[in-house]
Amino acid sequence: MKKIFAILLSVLLLIGLAACGPKTPVQTDPPSSEKPTTKPTETEAPYVPTDPNYGTVIYGSSTEISGDWGRAFWTNNATDALIRSLIDAYGTIVTDFGAAYVVNPTVVEKMETEIVPGAPPEGQEREEGVNYDTKIFKITIKKGLTYNNGDPITAKDFIASALFACTQEMLDLGAKSTAALTFVGGEAFQKGEADVVTGIRLYDDYTFSFEIVADKLPYYYDITYAGASPMHYKRWFGEDVDIKDDGEGAYFNEAYTLENITPFVEAERFASENRVSAGPYTLETFDKAALQATLVANDKFAGDLYGNKPEVKKIVIIKAEDATWADALKTDIFNVYDHITGGADIDTALDIVDEKGMQYVQYDRAGYGKLMFQCDFGPTQFIDVRHAIAYLLDRPDFADAFTSGWGGLVHGPYGVAQWMYLDSEEWLEDNLNKYTADLDEAKAALDKAGFNLNDKGEPYKDGLRYKKVTEEEAGDYKHNVKLDDGTILMPLIIEWLSTENNPVSELLKVKLAESDNTKAAGVQINRTEVTFSELLNYMYRDASKGDQYKVPTFGMYNLATNFYPAYDQSYYWTLDPVLVEQGYNSNYLFDEQMDKLSMDMVYGVESGDDEKYLGIWRQFIQRWNELLPEVPLYSNTYITVIPDWLLDYEQTAFWGFADAIIGAKIKK
Amino acid sequence: MGKYVLKRLVYIVIVFFVISFLMYALYNLIPTDPARAQLEPMRQQLKPEEYIRMYKQLRKEMGLDDHLVIRYARWMGIIKGLKGKFDGLLQGNFGYSQTFKKPVVQQISEPMKNTIFINIFATIAALGITLPLGVYCAVHKGKKFDTTVQTMSILGYSLPIFIISLIFMYFFVVRWGIFPLMGSKTPNATYEPGSWEAFVDKVYHIALPVIVMTFASLGGMTRYVRSSMIEALGTDYIRTARAKGLREKVVIYSHAWRNALLPIITSILAWFLGIFGGSVIIENTFSLNGMGKLYWTGLNTLDFELVLAIQMFYTVVSLIGSLLIDLSYGIVDPRVRVNK
Repeated sequence: MKKIFAILLSVLLLIGLAACGPKTPVQTDPPSSEKPTTKPTETEAPYVPTDPNYGTVIYGSSTEISGDWGRAFWTNNATDALIRSLIDAYGTIVTDFGAAYVVNPTVVEKMETEIVPGAPPEGQEREEGVNYDTKIFKITIKKGLTYNNGDPITAKDFIASALFACTQEMLDLGAKSTAALTFVGGEAFQKGEADVVTGIRLYDDYTFSFEIVADKLPYYYDITYAGASPMHYKRWFGEDVDIKDDGEGAYFNEAYTLENITPFVEAERFASENRVSAGPYTLETFDKAALQATLVANDKFAGDLYGNKPEVKKIVIIKAEDATWADALKTDIFNVYDHITGGADIDTALDIVDEKGMQYVQYDRAGYGKLMFQCDFGPTQFIDVRHAIAYLLDRPDFADAFTSGWGGLVHGPYGVAQWMYLDSEEWLEDNLNKYTADLDEAKAALDKAGFNLNDKGEPYKDGLRYKKVTEEEAGDYKHNVKLDDGTILMPLIIEWLSTENNPVSELLKVKLAESDNTKAAGVQINRTEVTFSELLNYMYRDASKGDQYKVPTFGMYNLATNFYPAYDQSYYWTLDPVLVEQGYNSNYLFDEQMDKLSMDMVYGVESGDDEKYLGIWRQFIQRWNELLPEVPLYSNTYITVIPDWLLDYEQTAFWGFADAIIGAKIKK
Repeated sequence: MGKYVLKRLVYIVIVFFVISFLMYALYNLIPTDPARAQLEPMRQQLKPEEYIRMYKQLRKEMGLDDHLVIRYARWMGIIKGLKGKFDGLLQGNFGYSQTFKKPVVQQISEPMKNTIFINIFATIAALGITLPLGVYCAVHKGKKFDTTVQTMSILGYSLPIFIISLIFMYFFVVRWGIFPLMGSKTPNATYEPGSWEAFVDKVYHIALPVIVMTFASLGGMTRYVRSSMIEALGTDYIRTARAKGLREKVVIYSHAWRNALLPIITSILAWFLGIFGGSVIIENTFSLNGMGKLYWTGLNTLDFELVLAIQMFYTVVSLIGSLLIDLSYGIVDPRVRVNK
């Protein structure tokens, strides 16, 4: 018994000692090491850093690190992706600060393109509007690029990733890629029907090419197909593996077998110690127990596309929690926290900025929160009903209430950080309907839609509106009423589906579903709450998950959407029933013009023809604004809190932390 | 005894299969599509026909189109898997995490170590406090100290642990700056992994969560020990011992405590078995990489093979634990026979 008590006391003492220990371990990087030593000028006070982590960025991430550095073939965890973009760079094609795809001048010496005329398969006639030509991107990389361990980077390293992605072994290792469908001969190689990938060529140590299948062309963003970044294939697949090209196409030598490469691939995916990479930073350590990654600047890095090299020598990435991120900033657990949005959180962050003398950068989201309609059944199939709902909601007021002033409003499917928007701001202002809240406009739209009857089929005075509909319009909508004379009346009841615990839904309930204007207009909105995955099942009408999902039930959903640098709406508005069944065109808006414009915008424009693209983009936005398959609700503003010593840190929705930190400077 | 254990083991196997099937079926009732979830990030890069082809292929590869019973049997390792060999739970394959894209066993190992590390401290600390406290309160039943402890223990027992966490965080971290807010390692620390400094730093980081867990668990066990001890102190043999003129300490620790310990032993054993289980709330609040947090991540990302593996592990621990607890009755109390 005495022994047990002694052990218990020891443990308690240990905890007690730990509790009374120093606030922070003494063995941290000395903050004073980077302090300026030069005398200040008479007019300027010397800068004395107050951040105990001066010179080191400690980044609080909203998602935790899983520790998979496998080049996006396997997982798409956001923080893993962030770390990968910090340690693996030298992409041949990158996005610039304005989110445009450009050739990376730090990496590419020369890039040539060539159209290879093609023909339809034997026995088939040439069809109008079908492309048979392939396109070659021939790239010469710069000499002298090296990995962080000094190993030279050659053309083989640049094609290794694409070639791997065309092999069956990649699939057997649980990875996913679209490369085999992109490069000429990729599919045949993956199926074992060919010995080489004819569309991937290796010419010499610094020159290689990719040939893109005709099926993918023309494509406005076809430059993205020329994207490649170096992969140290000897480390990924083993020393014995080599890449060859005998004049027909690239291939791996016989050492490349599933059995041989599996241990190397599995090791390299998760390797943190002595990791060989080619980015602005090197992964120094990854503590699996604490889920904490430490990155140090790679002194062999040649620069980003602007030639910037990191001045911040160390980045530590840790997980931030929703409930405690503010206290973590206050107590110096981390000194960079981004993607802060929503009025309350931003106000909290700004208080911390004031209190601790930190800074913040502000940028607009490339996306928006929205009310989405399904336009093939029920009241929302009528364009004027969709317009009326837009008129019933005071959108600026909604956006202001939801974001507490930290957000804006768009009137179509675009983001204010996109170059198309920046080039069209005035045009959009003049040509888009803003659907300013107006009860009379809403009523007029509903009258125009034919919702001008009561439940007996008499002219509407008050209460719920009804419309006389045809059998086809009525469909199986559950609220339809059939009168004795056979007349079918559709009541203006809109079934709305939202996710659980969603603050946007709560606000919509107050400002739209249960508002006086909505009642006064004779509209009833019923709300149902489900999990997000179930919402998607209803939205996609996915019968494989249950028969209830295939029945059109909800006409209105609230969701959010984000845009990528490649603005590609193709197939989103398809008329093809097979594709619709697969989840394309989840708005079920079957409009030939929308389908054509969305396809032409990317598949009818040669890359580089920005003027033509912009012209179609404007027509598309205008048509969308007229048909209103969605009502944009808000577009958030984000802020990132950064320490006072971090200068020239510029962030946008498309130029994230990984890009911004490379150009940032340290206040001395 | 041997016959009893054998019989219980047979029950355990039956219960294990029933629970595993029920859980597998329940998770498969949730309307999600792992194939769609995997392909969704690539959707924009694929033409619709390519997407549809890949989607169908992936469903086939994952066996999603097969009947529930077939999938269960495959997952359990009763029938051959899609690669033509028995490779299920019975063969030691706990499944493949779709979120982390690696075998579940690999993903579980580090959080399990962390959870055990934290729970060992919390369990020892809680027992170290509650046992003497319960005894002291029982001996001084009705006194001011006892009343105070009873009130405090009710408070700790009633408050949700996340509220306790936030209150402790506010005082110990924000106001007084004694402990770090979160995590299990000081960011930017430069010590060697596995060093003494690393160990101290880890203990320093887990101290507050351990204190919170200890505080939250004080109420139950203290009251349990107290009532058990009060019951023991009220028995005839204690009166006899006192009548014999034995010292009060001997009466309490040698006579009453030994007998009061019998029901408590089983609870203590259950606590120690509980060290494998992570606390979802504590680990998420303090950003600790443990089993509770992993379980939460698995549920949020609909990574059911991961979640099922964790639950099956706990099922096995619970089943074996209940057997051990039953056996412990017989060991600590000769009056109880476990062979019936």
